[in-house]
Amino acid sequence: MTGTSWWGRSGRGPQSESCRLLSVDAESRVFSRLRGTIAWETLRSMLSGARLRLALVVLLSAVFWGSLYALFYEGFSFLESIHAEVISLLFNAFFSSLMIMLVFSTAILLYGNMYCSTEAKLLLTLPARAENIFAHKFHEAMWFSSWGFILLGSPMLVAYGVVRGSPWTYYLLLLPFMVSFVVIPATLGAICCMAAVAWLGSLRMHALAILGVVVCAGAAWLGWSMFGSSPAGGGTTEWFEQVLARLSIAEQKFLPSWWLSSGLLDAAQNSTRPETRFASLLESVKFLAVLVSNGMLLQLLARWLARSCYRQGFSQLVGEMPARRQRRIAWTDEFLSAAGTARGRPLRLLLVKDLRLFRRDIAQWSQFVIFFGLLGLYFFNLRVFNYNVAYASMISFLNLAVAGLILSTFTTRFVYPMISLEGRRFWILGLLPVHRDQILWSKFLFSFFGGLLPCCALLYLSDSMLGISHSLIWVHEICCVVLCMGLSGIAVGLGARMPDLRESSPAKIAAGFGGTLCLVLSSLFIMAVVVIAATPTHLAMATRAFGGGGPPPTGILGWASGPQGTAASLLLVGFLGVIATFLPLELGLRAFRRLEP
Amino acid sequence: MIEFDHVTRTYGPKPAVTDLSLSIPRGELFALLGPNGAGKTTTIKMLVGLLRPSRGAVRICGYDLTKEARSAHLHTGYVPDEPTLYDKLTGREFLWFIADMFGMPRHMATQKIGREIEHFELAEFCDDLTESYSLGMKQRLVFAAALLHDPDVLVLDEPMVGLDPRSVRIVKDLLRTRTQEGMTVFMSTHTLAMAEEMADRVGIMVRGQLRFLGTIAELRDHMALETTNLENLYLELTTAGPDAS
Repeated sequence: MTGTSWWGRSGRGPQSESCRLLSVDAESRVFSRLRGTIAWETLRSMLSGARLRLALVVLLSAVFWGSLYALFYEGFSFLESIHAEVISLLFNAFFSSLMIMLVFSTAILLYGNMYCSTEAKLLLTLPARAENIFAHKFHEAMWFSSWGFILLGSPMLVAYGVVRGSPWTYYLLLLPFMVSFVVIPATLGAICCMAAVAWLGSLRMHALAILGVVVCAGAAWLGWSMFGSSPAGGGTTEWFEQVLARLSIAEQKFLPSWWLSSGLLDAAQNSTRPETRFASLLESVKFLAVLVSNGMLLQLLARWLARSCYRQGFSQLVGEMPARRQRRIAWTDEFLSAAGTARGRPLRLLLVKDLRLFRRDIAQWSQFVIFFGLLGLYFFNLRVFNYNVAYASMISFLNLAVAGLILSTFTTRFVYPMISLEGRRFWILGLLPVHRDQILWSKFLFSFFGGLLPCCALLYLSDSMLGISHSLIWVHEICCVVLCMGLSGIAVGLGARMPDLRESSPAKIAAGFGGTLCLVLSSLFIMAVVVIAATPTHLAMATRAFGGGGPPPTGILGWASGPQGTAASLLLVGFLGVIATFLPLELGLRAFRRLEP
Repeated sequence: MIEFDHVTRTYGPKPAVTDLSLSIPRGELFALLGPNGAGKTTTIKMLVGLLRPSRGAVRICGYDLTKEARSAHLHTGYVPDEPTLYDKLTGREFLWFIADMFGMPRHMATQKIGREIEHFELAEFCDDLTESYSLGMKQRLVFAAALLHDPDVLVLDEPMVGLDPRSVRIVKDLLRTRTQEGMTVFMSTHTLAMAEEMADRVGIMVRGQLRFLGTIAELRDHMALETTNLENLYLELTTAGPDAS
């Protein structure tokens, strides 16, 4: 067995000749090359195979950026003329809240990337330094968690610069400022993540939950103290001053958000005197230096932490006992299984299975709770603003569209891939005495009822806060039912018509051509429903506003803006709903019956 | 080459591996057998540094996996039970990444990548993205990557899963040649025929403890049964009580 080795000599091994441990820099370069190659190949695949998605992403991002720019331009022009000092306060509040979000989002992303991914398992078996593996994963996580900040922050800051007539140096400094700022909360998130895994052990989830509750409670208190408890009422000068006074809590000099705000405000100074302009620029660069040096210090700390405890933390996590599930069956499952006729039992059992999977998939229900929770928080604060009837009605229809759009992202992300994922396990369902149609119908019902309850409740909340009339509330609720039906039909039908049976990741399935088409069709459907439903109400308001107290309009205009018009629009909405539900479903059912996995 | 020194690993209060002491010399092909939940995967994970022992030490070429993980990894190749690749890299790019990570000089990397592409017959698809590979193709690429740096120790976790008969033959031939030339192989498997055909020694784990260690002939002597069939011996050993050894 032993003797002369196969590389032609006896001795220690082949490594002395062909392999060596890399220096820190060389290792970093290998990881950079890896990221570069993956990015290039991803872009190439998108350009060759997913042009529609890429074009949509670019187009929507451009529209989003442009709209935000216009919005911020108007806002800053208004504030500049009357409350210039408020801008510093707003910057501080915006950047400090963003900082908290970045800490959390990076920590969560890194937890998945560093401790739960198969890539981490591969890298940890290679002769790579733990701190370099961390740096590699950190780059990815920082990019994913901060692109939103760049997309949201850049139109705001560019608009501010334009309104202030800032010098070119301001625009030059924008990107360095944003990047150096993002590094700080992202690194803090990384440090929290690694420390929690290494030192809190199995208590980390409890600690995270407590921290989450504390942060949510803090945000709720701040929100309530600003918008809810004001005796002055929303929109008045007194209320505005109270809000500003409370926002000043974000103006703390030890916070990186303050360094960023101050640096940007200094860079944006537009003075006619060259020496003042130079002094402002110098001051701004000083703040940038503070951000960069703090970011670097935190990076050093994070790398040291990774070197000391990444491998240990990973081992600890791998070695944890999986929590035992209780054998007890949830009451909802029991109820659903038992209720109804024996004929419908297979369908109900499929529903129970999907419900169980949903409950146990944190990614699904946490996003569901977060998005609808945030929407609820926004709706809840609507009462502060004393809108007039026409404006309130417009907002209520926009809220209907927002609820629909959020629901459509869920149906695309979670419902659309369901059939593809089922395809991989098709042998289980294929061998059961269940008709294939029932599988599809169960997905549809799951999606429909899953979206109906939160959407209807949220719209009722929105309408109540806006003081909308009962008849309009009914219109919204009917539209909501139609939206839930249509969006579920589109997602389930297209999912069955265009399944991707080879892919196991729901995110990748949703990101493909079918998923993109599903999102586009869903958005068009939502727009059509909202526009058709809103037309009679707003036509009536417009005729009243422009009629100047004269006699009500007659003819087609009178008909369209009256109750008949509302009934007709609802009929049209219902018809559109039926088409959006049953056409894709029928296409999906036909394809699913023929499916050969 | 490989040394487990009184290694114990617990999951919470539950022991997964208990007081494992095992030494595998250079050039030996060792097969670890055992029923599901016996502690084979835990042992492999400790051997490749993904899991640290609760007590004791694991060493490869004299390097402690807990204290000198990088040096130990430099001497190790690992083929996991589920191949891990980057979807958006081609097979060749993946091999280059591994070669770079092991600090191989350019000319040597080129030569060895060519050699492994030829050995595992990857030429036809190695310039396609790995996302389009079948399980067998992925497994062959992972084998090529694990052997690229001519490791002193090769760790295999259920190595033949997903491979077609021809690929199985290629792997078997390669393992034979390389162990004869000095490489140590640590293999965990459920395929008794494979262990019987390839292994110099086998270890049989039951409930976290090494119940038998020796050659197949020694196992037959040890069990003192009429049957010489490895399957029967294995079943007898793994279903018997704790003092059967």
